[in-house]
Amino acid sequence: MYAYFQELFAYRSVFYQLVRQYLVLRYRRTVLGFVWTLINPLLMLSVTALVFSTIFKLDLATYSTYLFAGMVPWTFFSTSTTQACGSLISNEGLIKKIYLPKLIFPLSVCVGNLFDSLLSFAALFILIAIFGSTISWALLFIPVAFVLIFVFTLGVSLALATLTVYFRDVQYVVGILLQAIFFLTPIIYKRDGLSGWAADLVALNPLLHFIDLFRLPLYQAVLPGWPTVLSASAMAVVSLAVGLLIFVRHEKKIVFRL
Amino acid sequence: MADILIDDLSIKFRIYHDHSPSLKDAVASFFRARKVASHSDFWAVNEVSLHIKAGERVGIVGRNGAGKSTLLKALCRIYEPSSGAVKVTGHIAPLLEIGAGFHPEFTGRENIHLNGAILGFRPEQLAAIEQEVIDFAELQEFIDTPVKYYSTGMYLRLAFSIATAVEPEVLILDEMFAGGDAGFVQKATARMKKVVEAASIMILVSHDVDLLASICSRVIWLDKGKVLHDGAAAEVLALYKASSAPLAVT
Repeated sequence: MYAYFQELFAYRSVFYQLVRQYLVLRYRRTVLGFVWTLINPLLMLSVTALVFSTIFKLDLATYSTYLFAGMVPWTFFSTSTTQACGSLISNEGLIKKIYLPKLIFPLSVCVGNLFDSLLSFAALFILIAIFGSTISWALLFIPVAFVLIFVFTLGVSLALATLTVYFRDVQYVVGILLQAIFFLTPIIYKRDGLSGWAADLVALNPLLHFIDLFRLPLYQAVLPGWPTVLSASAMAVVSLAVGLLIFVRHEKKIVFRL
Repeated sequence: MADILIDDLSIKFRIYHDHSPSLKDAVASFFRARKVASHSDFWAVNEVSLHIKAGERVGIVGRNGAGKSTLLKALCRIYEPSSGAVKVTGHIAPLLEIGAGFHPEFTGRENIHLNGAILGFRPEQLAAIEQEVIDFAELQEFIDTPVKYYSTGMYLRLAFSIATAVEPEVLILDEMFAGGDAGFVQKATARMKKVVEAASIMILVSHDVDLLASICSRVIWLDKGKVLHDGAAAEVLALYKASSAPLAVT
């Protein structure tokens, strides 16, 4: 296992190039360029905030903060996993011609998305702060929250990337599942508004804890409690362990199935 | 000291008769009592054992589908052996297909860095050879243009220049590089010769018997995944020529 990561490290410049490719190419030849990374979530957030604060009859500024705290981790999770599905298939040309540790493909997708997430977090945070959200020391927990959701997402991404090579249907199934999970995660609504079987179902959602890691410091200005931090950490570790196991076991066979 | 030891190597491909299995099929066959074989196995390389020592210039011949490219890809670690083992000592450079790692949207310069990283250059090495690669490819004017706007010749020149900027101990070539105008081909041949000379071991797959005769000391004739003949270039090539003459393969 040590040798495995040592090799991965040896290929760090390819990894760097892949992340760069992801970040740089999207907005090349667009007038606004990288600004789009910030405009996209901003528009998304404003529209959703306007619509749902009206439906739920909530104060726009407070609701925006609530929504923002849930959207950031959700967007990172959903875009990373969606894109990771295709990360091996779309690099077929490379994988079949040159030896590379395959882990760099899903990893670069997740890291690229993390960059996006951090940037849009920073930009949106400034706006939210202007709107008058409470700024507290609890915000110092946010980096930890990012680390935990990154580890969790990477594990899921590794498993999905492998699975998609064997069953191309997975990428479409993932799209539908994410849609379902979105509604089973308290992002636009509040969890305490739920009751009965819906509440039970949402309670099983692993993303719940990760959303809380962001929402408690941002929205309620308190540090997440130990139970939340520990369950999120446990899920992140299990996710990464399972994802890595699946990936490493199939890594050498992938080339025959592309 | 460069050295290649191939021990009883086999590489199996699974051929699916209809299509690659979908999730539906996998679920369906799980519930099906008796499984119908939906695939068959094909041994692209079948129990091959070879020892290639430092200083050897090895040519590989064989009909289409004889397993030549698969063997090279196994040497480059692209294909994991189904059984047996491959042991390569020394830095190996895969020049299987030039321009494999190019991204069409990237500029020539960006592609030097991308492709260079894939070929195993360190960033500081790349910075050092960047100018030399651009000069050799004669792309000074267009180096900051995305390669999707390049002509085929420009594209090949750039790919060739990057690929041959490295001087590996084990050089693996699948068919000969071609492309560019006459002047470039001449320059490229000279540069190729230099890289070949610098390499401790060279393995070349080609259908060009005359080319093999001129640069190889040893020739391996593969047929249906097995070694049919292995020996001095002149002997094996004479046998190969005799067998394929009626087919008039060019």
